[in-house]
Amino acid sequence: MDRRAFLTAAAAAGLAQVVTPEQVFARAAASQPAWSLAVADVAGDIPRQPLRRIHGRPPAGLAGTLYRNGPARFRRPGGDATHWFDGDGLVRAFRIGEQGASLEARFVDTFKRRQDTAAGAVITPGFGTLGSDRAVIGSADDTNAANTALLPIGGELLALWEAGSPYAVDPRTLETRGLKTFSPDLAHMPFLAHPRIEPNGRVWNLGLAGRRAIVWTLEPSGAVERTALIDLPRASYMHDFTATDRHLILVLQPLIQDRMTLPFVDALSWRPEEGTQVLVLDKDDLSKRRLYDLPAFFCFHLGDAWSEADGTLRFDACLDSTPQFAVHGARDLLVGKAGRNGVSLAMIALHPDGRAELNRTPLTAEFPRADPRRAGLARSKTIINTVRTEGRPLLRGVGVSDWRTGKADLFDYGPDQCAEELLFVARPGDDSELGGWLIGTSLNLKARATELHVFDAAHVADGPLCSWRAEVGLPVGFHGAWMGG
Amino acid sequence: MFDHTFKTAAVFASLGLVLAVVNAPPAVAQEAGAVTVTFSGITRPTGALMVGVYDSEAAFAGGKPVEGFRLEVAGPEASQVITGLKPGRYAIKVFHDVDGDGRMNTNGFGIPTEPYAASNNAPSRMGPPSWADARFEVTAEGAAQTITID
Repeated sequence: MDRRAFLTAAAAAGLAQVVTPEQVFARAAASQPAWSLAVADVAGDIPRQPLRRIHGRPPAGLAGTLYRNGPARFRRPGGDATHWFDGDGLVRAFRIGEQGASLEARFVDTFKRRQDTAAGAVITPGFGTLGSDRAVIGSADDTNAANTALLPIGGELLALWEAGSPYAVDPRTLETRGLKTFSPDLAHMPFLAHPRIEPNGRVWNLGLAGRRAIVWTLEPSGAVERTALIDLPRASYMHDFTATDRHLILVLQPLIQDRMTLPFVDALSWRPEEGTQVLVLDKDDLSKRRLYDLPAFFCFHLGDAWSEADGTLRFDACLDSTPQFAVHGARDLLVGKAGRNGVSLAMIALHPDGRAELNRTPLTAEFPRADPRRAGLARSKTIINTVRTEGRPLLRGVGVSDWRTGKADLFDYGPDQCAEELLFVARPGDDSELGGWLIGTSLNLKARATELHVFDAAHVADGPLCSWRAEVGLPVGFHGAWMGG
Repeated sequence: MFDHTFKTAAVFASLGLVLAVVNAPPAVAQEAGAVTVTFSGITRPTGALMVGVYDSEAAFAGGKPVEGFRLEVAGPEASQVITGLKPGRYAIKVFHDVDGDGRMNTNGFGIPTEPYAASNNAPSRMGPPSWADARFEVTAEGAAQTITID
């Protein structure tokens, strides 16, 4: 290309970029699919509003609050988050009582949110957002979005992320009390979003830094019972771990952090040829460890584990064949593109002879939960989100899969809904596994409204016993917690 | 996300070690005016501020300070007048040794758990504060710095 042709081409390219904000907006609106409401922005806190009952009646004896967390602000005038996991955490409280049900939501007042608000742009780097070198970062907690899960403990609601400390939130007002520092020497230590809670209330959790991890043990009061630093065989990306009553089980998938770069997801390499390892630690003596080998898979979430009479350890997991969704799909979501997400339920067995077994099922499943009264103990039922729609990134159904019978009791909210996590709430006086209700939310894309549903846990396919609808449609969130009373 | 915090800890940790060896006699020729340094925003009135003054980018990144001192903390502010510097460019690093053990504490993963700051309130941006952000001119008239820490 000669110099003149080059300059002409360059000038034309420049002109093509001159479009008005109105044109940009119109183009964006036209290209947004209906499900984009699931990753839309919430402008600010939502004062308490009554929920309208649209179906059935609430079961007698059900009273309490479903707290949920999830990213809800991704875009700012000067630049956007570019990954679903990097939106500001919005804590939602769905309260159910004799007066009816209500919704209130408040953003966690994080350093990241303050910094991005002041800049008028998402300048803070994150899991999959590069950010800007204008961002002030003294520790990982300055990038903490507090947007993933909630742990009610010690009279506080801890808003969890995974690479930093929890943020403490007032469960009554949803006001942010500040970064949770358990003791000065534990400041800024990471605390994963998936603590494992024993039926007696003791909490186990991990925090990761490459090939090192902190093992947290909290008393039921929320005080630190013990912490320990351990070395890991590899620097796997780990969103979750699981536990039996006596063991911690760490799934070391072949998505390995092998370089230092931002954003974090770009520091990970997918090495399926190296397979998946499973590390089992003895809760009473973390130096007692066993390592198992499995074929390569990717997963975010695991189910509660248990041990059998012969020493076999079992747990379920929601597996995908690659980390495609974590790396690309969750980025594409924010720009209205639906990527492939092939997550399905599997059972993993770790045998005393050192053999590990992976049994995949064809059942689409994410956000696995179980009866918390049996955490770490033998159980057969797993609560899931399920039902995939071709061309849609999020699931639209819920259910209970029973490992003993091999049957799944499923309910499809329908093509206009995005399902969110379901939690178990015990029926007073009923000690049987999942003897009680399932409570969870969905986003109704057609009504552009968030809904709250209660199911009989033994009859999910019958549909909700009761449903309520909010005046607002909040973006789809991640994990929650139920507080009775 | 962790690499820069390790680096930050290392850069500030070096401060505690070198302070003990700094007692160079001030240069006599071409003495600059006094530098008044005020530290504000202290939320925990215990321990001491460990302060280093540096005259080059290399020194600021982990070398020896030209001047160093330990400043007892008794309230939300502390200040110190530095004399005897030659005119030129300098930068200051400080950490708040809250528990008074003489070193910059870090958590189990090497991330600083005691407050630190630099002259011009130069921010940590994916790493420790930079010389470019922290440097200031000391002239015959001296200089003044107010550094927020905590």
